[in-house]
This record gives sequence, C-alpha cells and structure tokens, in this order.
Amino acid sequence: MSRFIQIIAAAALTLPVLALPVPGSVAQASATAEAATLTISLTDIEAPQGRIMLALYEGAAGYDGGKPVRGAAIEVSGTSTSTVITGLAPGLYGVKLFHDVNGNGKMDTNPFGMPVEPFAFSNSAKGNMGPAAWDDAKFEVKSGTNNQTISFK
Amino acid sequence: MTIDFNRRQFIGSTLASVAASMVITPEMALAGALPPRWASAVADVDADIAPAALELIHGKAPAGFTGTLWRNGPAKFRRGTSAAGHWFDGDGLVRRWRIADGQASLAARFVDTPKRRLETKLNAIVTPGFGTSSRKGAVLNGPDDANAANTGILPIGGDVLALWEGGSAMRLDPESLATRGAKTFRDDLKGMPFSAHPRVEVDGSVWNFGGAGKNCVLWNLRADGTLNKAQVIKLSRPSYFHDFTITSRSIVIVLQPWLQEKFKFPLSTGMVWRPELGTQVLVIDKNDLTKQRTFELPTFSFFHLTDGWDEADGTIRFDGCFEADPTFGQTAASALLRGEFIHSPRPMLTQVVLRPNGQAELIASGVEAEFPQSDHRFVGQARRYTTHVSGYRDTPFPHQLARWDWKRGKSARFDFGNDQLVEEFLFVANGSGEDKGWLIGTTLNLKAGASELHLFDAQKLANGPLASWRAHAALPVGFHGAFLRG
Repeated sequence: MSRFIQIIAAAALTLPVLALPVPGSVAQASATAEAATLTISLTDIEAPQGRIMLALYEGAAGYDGGKPVRGAAIEVSGTSTSTVITGLAPGLYGVKLFHDVNGNGKMDTNPFGMPVEPFAFSNSAKGNMGPAAWDDAKFEVKSGTNNQTISFK
Repeated sequence: MTIDFNRRQFIGSTLASVAASMVITPEMALAGALPPRWASAVADVDADIAPAALELIHGKAPAGFTGTLWRNGPAKFRRGTSAAGHWFDGDGLVRRWRIADGQASLAARFVDTPKRRLETKLNAIVTPGFGTSSRKGAVLNGPDDANAANTGILPIGGDVLALWEGGSAMRLDPESLATRGAKTFRDDLKGMPFSAHPRVEVDGSVWNFGGAGKNCVLWNLRADGTLNKAQVIKLSRPSYFHDFTITSRSIVIVLQPWLQEKFKFPLSTGMVWRPELGTQVLVIDKNDLTKQRTFELPTFSFFHLTDGWDEADGTIRFDGCFEADPTFGQTAASALLRGEFIHSPRPMLTQVVLRPNGQAELIASGVEAEFPQSDHRFVGQARRYTTHVSGYRDTPFPHQLARWDWKRGKSARFDFGNDQLVEEFLFVANGSGEDKGWLIGTTLNLKAGASELHLFDAQKLANGPLASWRAHAALPVGFHGAFLRG
C-alpha cells in the first residue's frame, strides 16, 4: 500500500502544466473572418487566492506533449472565475490548468513529488495516474463564441 | 450523544449482518464451492451501524470503568460482480465500542474516501491496491484516491484519524463518525503517507513514518496533533514495512528483504522476497535523524512490532511477530477473500536485541503471536509483558488471547474456542504497575453470528473475561485500535 506514492508521483510529474507558457509569450493567431472566441469558466475553486495557470492546446499532438497555443494566468478571488480567449482558429482543443494557490509561479509538490496544488482538465475530465486523456479532454471550438466550463472538484 | 444515522441505514445494517453470515463471493459461486465457516470474517458490511446497546452476556464491568475502544478494519470487498484482490484493500469501517456505567454500545461507520465514493457510484471495485488490480473506471491522481483508510486509529487533536499506510490520515468526527476529510499536517506535506502504526510517547506526542520505496518520511506530532517536524530520510533498500518502533532515544525501522523492486499494480506483484539478503535494522537518533546505525539479522518477515526500550549500556530491545517468509501478505491474505485457507508460516513472538558493539540477536519465545500489544506507559522503558492473539489452528484466524511473560518465559492464555475469531486486545492501565490493568478487545463469534466485546483482568487472563457483551451485528475481523479512558 505504501508504495502508491512512487507510481503516482512518477505519473503526476509528467503533467505538462508544470511548464506553462508565460502569458503573452505565445504568438497570437491573426484574427480572421473565421476567428473564434472561447470563454473558459472555472468552478469549484478550493481557495479564493493565488492564480490559475492555464494552457490551451490545439489537437492531440499539442495536448500530448506539444506546446500550448495560448496561456493565461487568471487571478483568483472567489470560488469561480473565467477568462476569454479570442482569435482562435476553429478546431479541436484541450486545456490543462493548475491552481497556483500560493502564487509562487509553480505547481508545488510534496517531498515525494506529488502535486499539492489543485489541477484540472477541459471537460472536467479526470486523469488516471497522469493527465486526462485527449479523448476525454478534447472539445470543439467553432467560429463565433464558445464556452467551456471546468470544475476543480 | 447524537449521531446522524437514519432508520433505513440501521435496518440495512441489521440485514447486512445476516447477509454477512452467508456471504458467497462471485469466485465461490463460479467454483461451486461452499463458503468456509469463517466466511463472515471477510464478509461485506453494506451500511453504517447506528449506535446501539450491546447485550451483556457474561459477568459485569468493573465499577467506574468508562472508555471507548476505537477500532478499524476493512469491511467492504465486493461490488456487483467484482471483488477486491486482497484482505488489505477493503473499505475501512471505523467501529466505536463504548463502555460506561456498566453498559456497552457499538456504532460503526465507513470512512467516506474518494475510493469508496467512486466504487459506490460504479457499483464495482475498480481502485488498485496492495493486492487489487486497477480496473476500468479507476481514477487515481494521488495516493488518497486509493486510500482505503482501513488499518489503524489515532484519536488526536479533536479528530479520530483513520489510518492507512499509503496516503493521508482521514479525519473523523468522534461523535458522528462523519468523515471530515484528509488530514494535511502542513500545506507542503499534503498527501504524504502517514502509516497505520504511530507510536505514542508517554507525554502524548507521536512518532510515525510513511514509506515510499527507499524514501521514508518520519513524522513527529505534538500531543495536540499539530506537526512538530517531518523529515525525509533515504533507506538502504526499498523494503516494505508495515510497522516501526521507538525507544527512549531512537527510532527503529526493520528492513525485511521483501523489496518493492517494481512499481506496478497490484503493488504486491512488484514486491520480491530476497531471503539471501537477510533482515536489517536501522536505528535513528530521535534528536538527529542523520545519526543512523544498521544492524544485521537473520532473514525474517513481519508486520507488527512492540514499543522498544534502551538499557543503561545502550542495548536496544523490542519484540515483534516474525514469520519465515511473507506468504501471508503475498498470497494467503488474498485467498481469504476467495474463501480459501492457504497455510503460511506462523508468526512467532520474538525479541530483537541490538548490542552497542553492533551485534544483533533474536530471542525466540516459542509462541505463535500476532497483534502484539503492551502497556504503552512503558514506551521507551524495560517491560515484562507482551499481550497478543494466538491459537491458530483450523481457520486462518486466531482463537486465543495470550500474554507472554518475558521474565518467566511463559504465557497466560485464554482460549475462546473454535467458534470465536480473536481480534487485537489493548492494555488499559489500572494502577501503577505493568501488572495492574485490563485487556479490552473484540471477537467475532461465528456460532452466534455476532461480534463481541470482552474485558479481562490482565493478571487473571486465564480465568476468562470479567465481562462480555454481544453486538447485533457480525463485523468482519478488523485490524488495529486505540482505547481512550473517560
């Protein structure tokens, strides 16, 4: 029983949310006639403080180890918040995020390497010994307005 | 006392106890086998048990005896057509046995873990464990998602902590038994393992460990349950160990050669027995965890140890229940859930002596023993007696309560008979000496189809219980407990 830690810690450390882009560092897609807007609502936030670090990935290849197309650091002051991402090309996307509760800019781990700050994925998909699978986390962004709600519960 | 159980749950629990006495696992049904007579020892309890008075069936409680025996143990192994793969993987049911004014009562409630919530929703056992595979639908994002909270109990800081060994302690409300959530001693230590065998000092402060391969965290709590310190140490080998001990100066970790060589589920399938390596004992200075010594002993396997002590010349002594190999944990404890009795090496009460010159030796008592207990007022001090269960014969479970006298080299024992399976008994002091006290514990009466609570005079163990009470439910055999006076 006591050795769960090692298995899970190894998996958890592969969470790419550890390597989030600094907001603004990612090139903005040029707005086109088909550009889409995505509103991401975050609910069931455990602590009303710190920042939620968000990474948006396009396609399976991006989600499974590629670079995010957008990143955001969202200030938290309650149990829910939201952010709007504009100028997206229509397509399939996935979101990984973690709540930087103490605002130190990183996903903290305990001495055995387990994350101690909350994390979540689009569609509120749950991982199993690692990030939620692309098939569970993917969602379609169409031209126009789109909404995605993600629960930390 | 108030407790938030409803009538439906209570009726459910009564039915559950009836069902438990004739449980047939899916495996047995397929095999066409009849359940063994001890099947209720590993049966499922389907609902919490509301507080109810027990029936006094023998003797009477000593005047003024008041207290609560907290116990924990797995009590839900099967859902739908699926079953846990190991006795250690059932959901923890916390039992509160109370004695006051000559009356006794029992309440029991499952710890509300993420594992139990998920498996209730799916009506399937999916969460991996010590001997259980990960199945479709499992959600494992941290050790506490697999936390069965089923092994030990530590009442401290206003909570009753239900202990497992791979994850956090789970906090329970002592009155309602409702689960308050996982215990986080400090934000950066969230999810660190807090084992089921804390050692409590005379001043109420606590030492504990949490193992993960070669990494081990050592915990030190104040008597109020707050964290004094937690420090990670590296071990020389990735031993599996379920228990540790302390002396007045040292922390003692027994490194059996049952090694976590691979990390896969079920966990026991990645653990390899390497008898050629011998068993080592790591002794760590309580005041400076970097000061460590290692002693070499002949090979043995074990689950449980007792409080240790130092002698004037620096010799360390403690005892434990040692087995020739880990067959019980590897296979026999899995087979129990299938109604099979695999004979494994008997656990034998043995004293470990660690000399200041680095030599180490084992002193055999010659008696079969498990669930060793002692007068915890003597933690860190020389001690004469070890109370334990014994009498393994026609079932996988013990039938006797015994007390070994290390000075005279003999036991006092009471045999409950073939119909009774004996669980851990604890020493409750009544006077200043190690002789003065009671032994309190529980049995599962197979014939009556009910669990029982018993109180003995520790000095007159062979005379049988001073008082025995019978519950209206048959609870499966559990693991460890703690007793609180008052």
